[in-house]
Amino acid sequence: MILKQILLGIIGVSSGLIVSAGVFTVLISVGLIPRFAGKMHVARKIFILEEMVVFGTLFGGFFSIFGDWGMIGEFVKKHRIFGESATEGVWNLIGTLFLLMFGVFAGIFVGCLALAIAEMLNTIPIFARRIGFRHGLGIAILAVALGKLTGSLIYFTQQMFLYGG
Amino acid sequence: MSTNSTTIYINAQQNVELQSKDVYVKDIGKLTCSDAHILAKVKAVKLHSFKKGEPKRQVISLLKVIEEIDKICPGASVENIGETAVMVEYINVNKHKGPLQMLKLVFVAMISFFGTAFTIMAFHNDIGINDVFAKVYEMVMGQPGDGYGILELAYSLGLAIGIIVFFNHIGGRRITKDPTPIEVEMRVYETDVNKALIETADREGKTMDVQ
Repeated sequence: MILKQILLGIIGVSSGLIVSAGVFTVLISVGLIPRFAGKMHVARKIFILEEMVVFGTLFGGFFSIFGDWGMIGEFVKKHRIFGESATEGVWNLIGTLFLLMFGVFAGIFVGCLALAIAEMLNTIPIFARRIGFRHGLGIAILAVALGKLTGSLIYFTQQMFLYGG
Repeated sequence: MSTNSTTIYINAQQNVELQSKDVYVKDIGKLTCSDAHILAKVKAVKLHSFKKGEPKRQVISLLKVIEEIDKICPGASVENIGETAVMVEYINVNKHKGPLQMLKLVFVAMISFFGTAFTIMAFHNDIGINDVFAKVYEMVMGQPGDGYGILELAYSLGLAIGIIVFFNHIGGRRITKDPTPIEVEMRVYETDVNKALIETADREGKTMDVQ
């Protein structure tokens, strides 16, 4: 019994190590965070950004693995943290703000990640060269962004996630 | 070459940021010369001055620099051991300070935090991590588990160790003296941007060069 537990522990630690290395190699090699830092001229504070990456991953990892332990909303509402009557309203406000923040920032990140990966494979330069594209790159990029926005809206409004991949 | 000619060595940088509007030879890199008098004269040679309404970036070819030096000190030979073109940027003094800077930092920090949190959650969702763990648990223990066990804990621990080892620091303290991966990537990115800017300026004919 104890041997089996140890085996499970070893499997767990090893897979965690490799998964984090793999996921972060992708994140680093597309060079997303250096690009943000470069654009915003905060390269001097790169340490803080790395800390945020570390804590963001730990945060996300915890809540996606221990999903049942992460029911903060349920916990707060059941125990009436902000008083008997106010809890519902206060927590709904906090929750909405948090969801808004999570959505906006995760959206920015994923949007940049998608294009960064496309760029890493040189799709846009190669395509532009093939069709002899000289001007209007700005319009093309705007079209890509609008296409992504439309696609995302269609995905959620038509509930395409129900059909599976 | 005459016997009394002196050599001026320049180690030109790829990119320099200036807070003054005038660009002198001393700004574009390190210089050395056996004759201190000539060195001081060369350092004070003016190359360019940024005017209002003009672009705040200027690429200066080293050939142009050598030409300018040659005008002041004819006969001295110039050796460049650095880059062949320098990008000079004129920046405002308080570009790296102030509340706006703080706001930008918070913005980027937020993207880093929520973005990576989302990425790892989406990844776990993608691979159906709880199903995988349930299966592994059943294979090892011979019976289905109830709730979270050692596997989930160990995985989370591994994830944390992996990230911390990968990024090489925790809570503002470095574990070893190596630069962190983002620091390395940052320098690579900066070099790439500088190279692209210098080449674009060259292609568009905006480089300050000899005729």
